[in-house]
Amino acid sequence: MTEHYNQKRKRKAEFIKPINTLKAKVGSGGLSEDILNRAQALLENNTVDFLPLAEIYLAALMKGIEMAKEADASADKEYIISSMLYPGMQLKANGGMFHYPLVTKIADKLIQFLEVIDEADIEVIEIVLAFHTTMRAVVLGRIKGSGGTHGANLIQALHDACMRYFEKNKGNIGKMIIAEE
Amino acid sequence: MTYEFYKIKVLVVEDNKPMLDLTKSILQTFGVVEVIAAKDGEEGFREYCLHNPDIVIADWMMKPMDGISLTRRIRNDPKSPSQYTPVILMTGFSEKRRVLEARDAGVTEFLVKPFNARDLYRRIAQVIERPRQFVRSEDFFGPDRRRHKNEEKPYTGPERREGGRRAPPPPVTEIDFADRPQQDEDWQ
Repeated sequence: MTEHYNQKRKRKAEFIKPINTLKAKVGSGGLSEDILNRAQALLENNTVDFLPLAEIYLAALMKGIEMAKEADASADKEYIISSMLYPGMQLKANGGMFHYPLVTKIADKLIQFLEVIDEADIEVIEIVLAFHTTMRAVVLGRIKGSGGTHGANLIQALHDACMRYFEKNKGNIGKMIIAEE
Repeated sequence: MTYEFYKIKVLVVEDNKPMLDLTKSILQTFGVVEVIAAKDGEEGFREYCLHNPDIVIADWMMKPMDGISLTRRIRNDPKSPSQYTPVILMTGFSEKRRVLEARDAGVTEFLVKPFNARDLYRRIAQVIERPRQFVRSEDFFGPDRRRHKNEEKPYTGPERREGGRRAPPPPVTEIDFADRPQQDEDWQ
């Protein structure tokens, strides 16, 4: 049996192995545990106030919610979802960097929810609003760290709301899952 | 003996000032002396052309030009001083389709935020110790999207067959950009 039915290949890929100048410059040996510990300590002890940043992203999320509320049938569904997804991603990314891991956990749940819905219907908007309210309460209440049992309960309540939505609206998630596969 | 990071230049492109400052400080603690900062992809590309850094660390979501567009320019723009520079993309996204989008733009490594100092170090060590070969095809130029499992460990054992040696089997490959990568696990 011959490859490609004896036909000449039409598309060729060229493989290039660039010279590793980076390795030549930095040498070997990695970094010591001491340096890594110092870098980690610097990160953990940063004194950045997350509140102003969080307010920007929460305002952007609210703008996305308002846009979703006002959207008519001709609106671009993906654009509407993205307008809530991107601020959610920023909250997830930055919360944990600036001592608010609970915001990161909640925002991660929000992202996972928005990534699998097909359109932002009224029930979706209500759920996203609940995420917004919860994250705002965490930030304004200066709840740093995991939030303990209360934090876990908040996440569970939001998770349950999403699950109830999926149970009720099976049609609004199927297309996305098929697209992923 | 440790890495001599004072010999390299790192460009950090991030529109979030506190995050930019934090990333710069971590790199300086690693020993990088020359950290160039830019607040978006456009400024990042100008600085890239001006300084020709050894590593680029860029955020994804920025305006007017994001980290993905910046990566495409680094890989494809005729003005780019080097098309092969490793690009580490920082983002809060970790879903598979996002990772694949970044991979297809020519990103070398993906760093999920929030991250810790070791996460950032691992990504940097990865581009130093296991650089990807590049692929140029009709519709793609960038780091090989697969990493060969045995590329750094060629067979060195005895040859058991004389004459008429068969061509070796193709290398086992695997997709680097795994589903929802976690920081603590090696992507590969």
